[in-house]
Amino acid sequence: MVRPPLTWSANHAPPQARHLLTGPSPALRAVAVGIFWGASLLGAQEKPSDYAGSETCQACHEDIFKAFQKNAHKVVDTDKRRGWQTRACEACHGPGAKHAESVDAATIRNPAKLKPAETDRTCLTCHRNQPTHAGRIRSGHARNQVACSSCHSVHQAAEPRAAAAVNERCAACHAGVWAQFQRPHKHKLPEGAMSCVDCHNPHGSFLVKSLQAVSANEPGCFKCHGDKRGPFTFEHAVVRLEGCAACHEPHGSANPRRLVRAEIRELCLACHANVGPPPASSPSGSLGGIPPAFHDLISPRYRNCTLCHVKIHGSHVSRALLR
Amino acid sequence: MRRLILIFALLAVGAAQEQKPASPAPAEPSLAGAIDFGYRWRSDVSGNFNTYRSIVNLGAGPRLFGLDAKVQNPSRRLFDRLLVRANGWGGDPYNTGRVEAERSRVYRFSFDYRNIAYFNFLPSFANPQAERGGLVDQHSFDVERRLADFNLEMRPGSAVVPYMEYTRDSGRGTGITTFVADGNEYPVLNRVRDHTNHWRYGTRFEYTRWHMTLENGVTDFKDDQSVFWSGENRGNRTTLLAGERLLLNNLAQTYGVFGDSIYFKGLFSASPVSWADFHAQFLYSVPRSDASYLQSNTGRFVVLSSLLFYNSQQASLAAAAKLPHTSANAGFELRPFSRLRIVESWLTDRLHNAASGQLTDQILSGATPVAAVNPFTDRLVLNYNQQQVDAFLDLTSKLTLRGGHRYVWGDSGTRTGRVAPVQGLVPSEIRQQVGLAGLHFRAGSNLTLNFDYEGAASERAYFRTSLRDYHKGRARVRYLPLASLTVSASSSWLANDNPTRGITYDFLSRENSLTLHWRPAGGKRLSVLADYSHLALRGDLFYIAPDSGARERSFYRDFAHTATALVSLALPGQGSVKPALTLGGSLFDSSGSRPARYYQPLARFLLPFGKHVEWNAEWRYFGFGQEFYLYEAFRSHQFATGLRLLR
Repeated sequence: MVRPPLTWSANHAPPQARHLLTGPSPALRAVAVGIFWGASLLGAQEKPSDYAGSETCQACHEDIFKAFQKNAHKVVDTDKRRGWQTRACEACHGPGAKHAESVDAATIRNPAKLKPAETDRTCLTCHRNQPTHAGRIRSGHARNQVACSSCHSVHQAAEPRAAAAVNERCAACHAGVWAQFQRPHKHKLPEGAMSCVDCHNPHGSFLVKSLQAVSANEPGCFKCHGDKRGPFTFEHAVVRLEGCAACHEPHGSANPRRLVRAEIRELCLACHANVGPPPASSPSGSLGGIPPAFHDLISPRYRNCTLCHVKIHGSHVSRALLR
Repeated sequence: MRRLILIFALLAVGAAQEQKPASPAPAEPSLAGAIDFGYRWRSDVSGNFNTYRSIVNLGAGPRLFGLDAKVQNPSRRLFDRLLVRANGWGGDPYNTGRVEAERSRVYRFSFDYRNIAYFNFLPSFANPQAERGGLVDQHSFDVERRLADFNLEMRPGSAVVPYMEYTRDSGRGTGITTFVADGNEYPVLNRVRDHTNHWRYGTRFEYTRWHMTLENGVTDFKDDQSVFWSGENRGNRTTLLAGERLLLNNLAQTYGVFGDSIYFKGLFSASPVSWADFHAQFLYSVPRSDASYLQSNTGRFVVLSSLLFYNSQQASLAAAAKLPHTSANAGFELRPFSRLRIVESWLTDRLHNAASGQLTDQILSGATPVAAVNPFTDRLVLNYNQQQVDAFLDLTSKLTLRGGHRYVWGDSGTRTGRVAPVQGLVPSEIRQQVGLAGLHFRAGSNLTLNFDYEGAASERAYFRTSLRDYHKGRARVRYLPLASLTVSASSSWLANDNPTRGITYDFLSRENSLTLHWRPAGGKRLSVLADYSHLALRGDLFYIAPDSGARERSFYRDFAHTATALVSLALPGQGSVKPALTLGGSLFDSSGSRPARYYQPLARFLLPFGKHVEWNAEWRYFGFGQEFYLYEAFRSHQFATGLRLLR
């Protein structure tokens, strides 16, 4: 019995059922899907003769075939469960018998030339279970049509990349971000001690900027900066409400603490501007009016607010974050 | 470290035996990889050495610059594949190591280790005495953070994949912090020591039409910070207060914070039919912490509200906090027609911190102790929701258009500060309607063009500088005029306004970059990589000056040029001795509110001897300067040389 194909699409349905699966009527489609799904489990599939087998592909694509032997995808060629034994190439490229006969590029599917979303769908057939496939569907990469194959090699031996190689790959598109790492105060990416994926999940995340999460749903910053994690008796609300990037520029800055402003007082005054709290009856105002900053900022003693408010990320002792 | 030495020895032996004929036995393990080792010299750092350590911190001495070794084991005994990587060992401020072992279909193991030294002592930072010539950063640190991560996956590639992971993050070191008392603050010594342990285990179910992950985790953490001082410390106050000199003679502050968390993660995704995908995720964690605090200080202090002078103080605290945090998201992608995709998603994030405790302060003024017992509670509530729909239309095979809408809503409540107490929580809300648009154009593999835009009009935002009425966009083009030449350009901008009376926040940033990569003839003789980026940023914000009560406007400006370039040349050689020269580096030059320059040119020479040995030499220069803080500038030359053994 031929097992259900890995890439399960309308193209795998019998020709007489395909129009039902791709047609616009949802009701009809639901019925058709139910019928076809049941039928597929009983083994009603495309004819094995549509497939050429990996050895046939090897005859012409020797270099790719050799490289593929060292690629993790090689397992598809030997894994009974996936249903593509000896036909790993066709798991992604589709049935290749016609192509083997005609030697015409138009008769075989090439995921690298598909629309990015279609390429992604081919990959996600197996790789749906990314830590955040849920994020993948909403990620900036998916939104901007950056296909899986833009970063990942499907055929070549794909060793886990060293940090420097990961950074190089990301910087190829995010040149502006990489430029920020040339600033004096930055995370140690150019030195190879960290990589972009330490903080960002390129597949997507439920957090903004595709940030990595730690301990289920906490921002990934806390994986290394555990001392800022809390929970604190007295929280600094902005840390929880807007995250670290409300005050810090994590990529790189001329400011010693990678703050988003040149001086600390300017940063703090952005919220603690003495304008006052919003009226209790109207929550339309902004937080931070309380407590006001009442110090004499002309005096050097008060220009660096964190000089006294040392527990600025949150305190267990002092509501004013003094100790 | 022993393992690294072993791999080093294996590589060295392997390189020495390069002339021997390869063993025909296929079952022998094979070793491949490279090791870089050598020596680095550093010139005397001219300028401020503490700034140099805060930014560069590279020293002189023998170094293992890099190691990358891979063992293939055809017999599959214990493992099929073993990978060892190391970087920056021998005294550099960032040491990393990684070990991976895998036996196909049986297990996959990885161990990742990092030790990163953070040194930060900058005379311009948190230094109230800078104008009097003082060069003491009163908020400095010299710490090491270590991260060790063990991950084991069983039966990788199977339908059911159990996995477990243990991560330990720890930090320890010393620094300077501030002890704050009424009327004066004192720079004192600080010792930090904290660690966090994460354990997590779960199972992934990977079937053809649906995948699911169930995971549980436990975290525990401990933070033992201590602050201390012995000797006369006059603090930052230069004047007498009511005829009295305020000073600190002895101080001991000890923090004992420990806590834990349990968490759960569930992820489900399915493609039941070819025209629809579904996903859902549920995340729940409950971090808790218990804190104890003891303080003892002697000297001359004052309670400003009553102008009561005293000589000794003792304080103790016991407090606890709990922060249940629930996140969930769900969505689907529908493809009703071959050219149309509709992606709908929904997200909620809810956390609620509740804390309580009691602080006891006792001061000794003369012979009479005055004690104050202050029980307290505190809360923070956040409810965030987001719903988004995107539609993708493939107008032609080369052009995809996107349009969408996001609605964000939520509320928060925070307790107010002690200075102007307000009963209950201060409420705040967020309401945001965001329009989304984009296009993607591709002409074969030679040209891709991408445009992404979102614009929002908000009724409410949490903070004065939060995104409110904003427009942001990004355009990116990648063009290959020749097979050997890639040109990329990108432009992004963000304009955010908050016109509310009393705020009038106006923010604009623009960033443009251009990248060129030229590798004629596959880069065999010449390779050029060049980037240039320009950032222009301005932010204007209204506030009331605390000292005068006058309406003021804060202006922030940052105009930065950044360029990096690397030119690699293959020099004439004989046989297998083909030297190569690389020239380039990076420069950063900014003007505006904090002008700074940072130059890092480099030159690298590579001389291979056969296929397995290379000699390399590198010169680098680090130069840093700031217009407003001239005393922080430094310059340093570095020269490194070493061997690279390959197999």
